Amino acid sequence: MMKFLFFLIFNFISSSSLFVHGVTQARDGSVRVVQLLKEENGIRRYPDALPSLLKMMNEQTNARFDTDPLYINTLTDERLNENPILYINCDEQPNLEFSDEERAALRRYMELGGFVYLDAGIKASFLGSDLGHSYAAWEERPEVRELFAQVLPEKTFIPLPRDHDLFRIFFRGLPKNKDLKIQASQKRLPETVLNFVEREKWPQATYSFVGIKVKGRLACVASPICAMGWGRDEFGAWIPPISFRIRESAENFEQNLKLASFSGGTYEVTREDGLKDIIYSESGQRPLWVKEPNGSWRIFKYYSGEEISNYAHAFYSRLGMNVFLYALLH
Amino acid sequence: MNLLATQICLLSLTIVLCVDAQHLITVNGEGNKSLSIIGEENSTQPPANLVTQRSSEAETIERAGEDLRNNEIGRRVGAAKLLGKYRNSRTSILLVGALDDQSPLVRRAAIVSLAEHASNGFMVYNRSLVEKIYSKLGDSDVEVRREVSTMIPRLVSGMMRSGMEIVEINGRKVYRAVPSTMRPDLLGMTLKAFLDEDAIVRQNVLKYHIYLNVKIPVETLERLLSDSDLGVLLTALTRISTNASHSKIVNQVKQLSNHKDRGIRLKVVSVARDSNRYHPGYRSILRNMTKDSDLEVLSMAAVELARFGERVPSAVVEQIKSFLLGASGMTTQVTTILYAVSALGVDGIGVYRALTDHSSSKIRAVAWQRYINLSAGWEKSSLWLPAIKDRDKGVRQNVLNSLRGRTNNLTEKELSSLVESKFVDVRIFAAQCLLSAKQNAVDSLGFDLLIDEDTIVRSTTIRAMSARRVPGWVKVMSRSLLDDDYVIQRAAMDGLLDDKKNGIPVLLEYVKKHPQSRISNLARFELSKLGSLP
Repeated sequence: MMKFLFFLIFNFISSSSLFVHGVTQARDGSVRVVQLLKEENGIRRYPDALPSLLKMMNEQTNARFDTDPLYINTLTDERLNENPILYINCDEQPNLEFSDEERAALRRYMELGGFVYLDAGIKASFLGSDLGHSYAAWEERPEVRELFAQVLPEKTFIPLPRDHDLFRIFFRGLPKNKDLKIQASQKRLPETVLNFVEREKWPQATYSFVGIKVKGRLACVASPICAMGWGRDEFGAWIPPISFRIRESAENFEQNLKLASFSGGTYEVTREDGLKDIIYSESGQRPLWVKEPNGSWRIFKYYSGEEISNYAHAFYSRLGMNVFLYALLH
Repeated sequence: MNLLATQICLLSLTIVLCVDAQHLITVNGEGNKSLSIIGEENSTQPPANLVTQRSSEAETIERAGEDLRNNEIGRRVGAAKLLGKYRNSRTSILLVGALDDQSPLVRRAAIVSLAEHASNGFMVYNRSLVEKIYSKLGDSDVEVRREVSTMIPRLVSGMMRSGMEIVEINGRKVYRAVPSTMRPDLLGMTLKAFLDEDAIVRQNVLKYHIYLNVKIPVETLERLLSDSDLGVLLTALTRISTNASHSKIVNQVKQLSNHKDRGIRLKVVSVARDSNRYHPGYRSILRNMTKDSDLEVLSMAAVELARFGERVPSAVVEQIKSFLLGASGMTTQVTTILYAVSALGVDGIGVYRALTDHSSSKIRAVAWQRYINLSAGWEKSSLWLPAIKDRDKGVRQNVLNSLRGRTNNLTEKELSSLVESKFVDVRIFAAQCLLSAKQNAVDSLGFDLLIDEDTIVRSTTIRAMSARRVPGWVKVMSRSLLDDDYVIQRAAMDGLLDDKKNGIPVLLEYVKKHPQSRISNLARFELSKLGSLP
């Protein structure tokens, strides 16, 4: 039913062919996504991610996207205002510093109806410069906060509630076996992993997003890095492999973790409820365990494998498509 | 070669990405209280009072070792999980021992912890320990088998090391190399694992069997090529090379060329192309696939045949054209097909011509470039003039780069089309064309370019006029030296410096009259290099 409604709404909108006041779509009616690359020849970790996602949307929905993103290296590029969605992978930029003119252009873009998606706009402090990990902190990264304090000084990022339309605009729920293209009888994930994913990691296929409204419309969202889950090779197989960090417990575990040998650093990460997790991390290693605000301790375990990776990719792609489709409809 | 492949694989596994997430546990007041114990955000060391409570690493491991022998499963699971955080040979031995636990939960926790060691760079090299881990490929629990099969690349170096033995020959001790071989029972287990009931295990063993030096039997490969799991099928297709000449395998690939999944059919095209040298049947498979219902598959098959030098029927060429015209952008496959259209020869030119109207600027750019190059289009302005009206700068740049230096004797009408363009890059090209255009075209349009609003257009025009020595050029140069723009002055100076008889005297006079001008310093320097000091 939802998909039927989407079909109707999308067809209506595409026939109007206007997304930003006074500007048009690409010539053939498809929507072109603008991607900011401050350094054209900089190192890009997931160069195929966005084109893959746009292709998937063309295949799985009635939306029509140009699978070639329009790359710009400055926000004052006049072509920005000709297209309704701006995608910025914050990890792919050398910095998030912009001139006065660019900040003004970004503000104007959002005020005129443009939608800004800041991928990797959320990043937990303990990850440091590691671009390949995501962690669901519930606040924007400091550079993003600083930037938007100048772009929209009267606004702050606010966490998106779990029941926000963005998480259910087209795809709903977590991937099933058919989404993973595996036999119905095949076990999807290890039990502990599936348990954690369904209850805590991505409940109802949601994730930690923060956003800013402009003129009552959600005009900008930031999320932990999602692009790593969007890539497909030419035969439809997912790239690159993704593993899961899961929080686990066991009998008498709290006492064990309190007393266990540890010589590293601790980091605070903001949770959905605004309280802080304390992450225990040793230099050169993945984070060890976490002390949660209710006083419980849990250990991080790392699961990898084909099924884990497929599941993560399916989730991130469905989520990514929901974000872009939400951007089109709002 | 195998070692290199193993290293590549290990490297790729070390960069596996990791994701985490939030949780929804509500918090009581104790949470805040505990924060004050921990200290400041991003502190590099835990507070002293917390450290004193903690035990040493040896004590922690010892206690976990005891817990592994506890009667309660939960305690044993917790111990196995905790040991994953401490990487040393003692913990490896404890965890390998736990792989024989009667509870699958403990075995799972132990194997996940061993995998954690490996992903953090700590490998188990002791052969008997590694073989013990690998033997769990035959575990009754599917999660354990999956984890072991995922770990194969990390186990190979410990398990497949060659060794040395001392033998006595005629009373003399002789050192002899012992090649790496797999224990017969493990080899049997591996062969069985190819057909494991779990698709992930099958897929992993298929992926990594080469590192283990285990050849896949033809009958097994044949069965895997009819597997119901798409992941297994895709992997099996990449593993046919050693058996590619076998007629059973050719037949199986032929059947897969009609598979309902497009990705599998695309893979078949790629496999048939690579296996062409092993059996003529693969060429025949490609020919059949040019009738595929999916235009992308059809196009891929057709261009591969064209690359082999086969003539592609015009009806198929038309379908390739339709596919490319319908593509919404440059994906990997579209890129491959787009470039491979050149292999279609004369037919390809028509395809490129059609694509010059495509909505994707990247496709237009490639199409224009190929169209101009394949049809010697630089000689016919009617072919390329529409391209310079393209709205996308990237397309125009591609076209102009193909034309630059190749267009000669432009007529007044042709040059006029360039001069009147609203795009600066095209007008700059027009100014460059002044060098080789017909004289009457230069006479009638040179002035228009000389007063262009863009500095680069003007300076390029000045350079072209001086190089061509158009009538009155010296006057144009001397006037241009008076321009406010340094770029214009510089172009005029360069032009005058090139003509000793007529140009240099004018420049000398300018320097004399305007000693404070920005260009005069440089002019003096250049003149002195030429021995014409003012």
